[in-house]
Amino acid sequence: MKRRDFFKTSIAASAAVLGSTSLAAGETHQPNETRKVSKYAFPEKRPLITYSDRPPLLETPLSVFTEEFTPNDQFFVRWHLPDIPTYIDPDTYTIHINGFVKKELKISIADLKRDFEQVEVNAVVQCGGNSRSAFTPIPGGIQWGSGAMGCARWKGVRLKDILDKAGLLEGAKWIGFNGREKAAYYKTPNFVRELELDELDDHVIVAYEMNGEDLPYLNGYPLRLVLPGYYSDSWVKMLSNITVTDKYKSLFFMDKAYRVPDNECECETPENKAKKTKPITIMNVKSVIGYPENGAKIYHNSQVVVRGVAWDGGYGIHKVLISIDDGKTWEEATLKEDMGRYAYRAFLFGFKPKKYGKLNIMAKAVNSLGEEQPLSKDIGWNRGGYKYNGIQVVNVEVV
Amino acid sequence: MMKKIILLTALSISALFAQVKSSVEVPYIPFEIKMGKGFSTVQADCLMCHSFGYIINQGPQSRKFWRGKVNKMIEEFKAPIDKKDAKIIENYLFENYGNGKEQ
Repeated sequence: MKRRDFFKTSIAASAAVLGSTSLAAGETHQPNETRKVSKYAFPEKRPLITYSDRPPLLETPLSVFTEEFTPNDQFFVRWHLPDIPTYIDPDTYTIHINGFVKKELKISIADLKRDFEQVEVNAVVQCGGNSRSAFTPIPGGIQWGSGAMGCARWKGVRLKDILDKAGLLEGAKWIGFNGREKAAYYKTPNFVRELELDELDDHVIVAYEMNGEDLPYLNGYPLRLVLPGYYSDSWVKMLSNITVTDKYKSLFFMDKAYRVPDNECECETPENKAKKTKPITIMNVKSVIGYPENGAKIYHNSQVVVRGVAWDGGYGIHKVLISIDDGKTWEEATLKEDMGRYAYRAFLFGFKPKKYGKLNIMAKAVNSLGEEQPLSKDIGWNRGGYKYNGIQVVNVEVV
Repeated sequence: MMKKIILLTALSISALFAQVKSSVEVPYIPFEIKMGKGFSTVQADCLMCHSFGYIINQGPQSRKFWRGKVNKMIEEFKAPIDKKDAKIIENYLFENYGNGKEQ
């Protein structure tokens, strides 16, 4: 390349960079973690951060995320449609398996517990819009802080075993999942999720138990799909139908919702939206600090132990780094026991604050592929406010 | 000691299966929504499908944002809202939960 040509291209390239930054009215910052729990408790739950009662939308306070597993009564809740059955009879409840199968099946909960191998998987379930309040301008949707997630021990039956029993017909390619939540209007699209059969592995289960108890009603009693590594939009609750097809069906909740720009940064600007989008699917690497909380006062020269959890889409957490000097230096936190590659990895980090005044504590998770969390400001905007995984900054005061 | 352990086990088993034996009731949350022109239309058309929590939670937004939301409810979620009502709702949302910007 001639020197002159080089200059030409580099000017064009820098113009493009400038162009995109000046266009980027979109800006990303720390999510809003200031909301307090409501005074109202929902069924089987403690009072949680409450965005809506119909459909129920509840967020777990950040302080809960210091352990590998999230208690059922503090586990977040997210439904899509207003009409959820208020009574389920576990003796008569069945799931229906139909479509491209040799034998249609109706399976009761008792059948599931008796006729199939019982398996357990530890897995994080996180809303694709978790931490959405980090994005400006506000993308439509619930302005979650970072508590639209939890990790549980799920017990149930492999989806594969259920499908084997029904027998897949040749040409079976897609699998649709529908739950019992209903819209107010007949014409409103059902919350059906579709997955390609190739995507499913042995870790995908139909679960009836969560942390050693029946699924809480608001977490999908009596059965829900558990898809380790995937965002929760596909973890269909009150699962009632599994339908195998040869073709992809066009559905609102698949084609319009829960999608990000189909480019490398998965980002766009409010003025210049990406034309192509893709489903959110696998979770990226992320961590949150459960203790201390924003605004906390900690004592000078005292032994402070920072605690939190880190996770990704199933590659496993390699390390968690902590900074107490605004990101200048990073030190490795101690990782607690590995509860499985889909579960939270709890971490802790002890230090003695030596300076009085304001102090920022940051946590950055790195997974086994070497992928690490970016700073908030380096995360590009997207219209749905999905997949935020910025490094959390907790502001405390040393007194 | 043995007796105690058996008793505890029995208790935990019954607790395990007693959670949702009768119908549950999701509490009604009185979200504090602003009164204003067009409120009765908002109440009639929006509340069918979702609580006011959804509205309040969006924060102050442009007219374009709110118009887009109303259209989404009609086009994607098939809410039976006619054009006249849609405009009333958009105006209410912008007047009460607007940021003063048209775009």
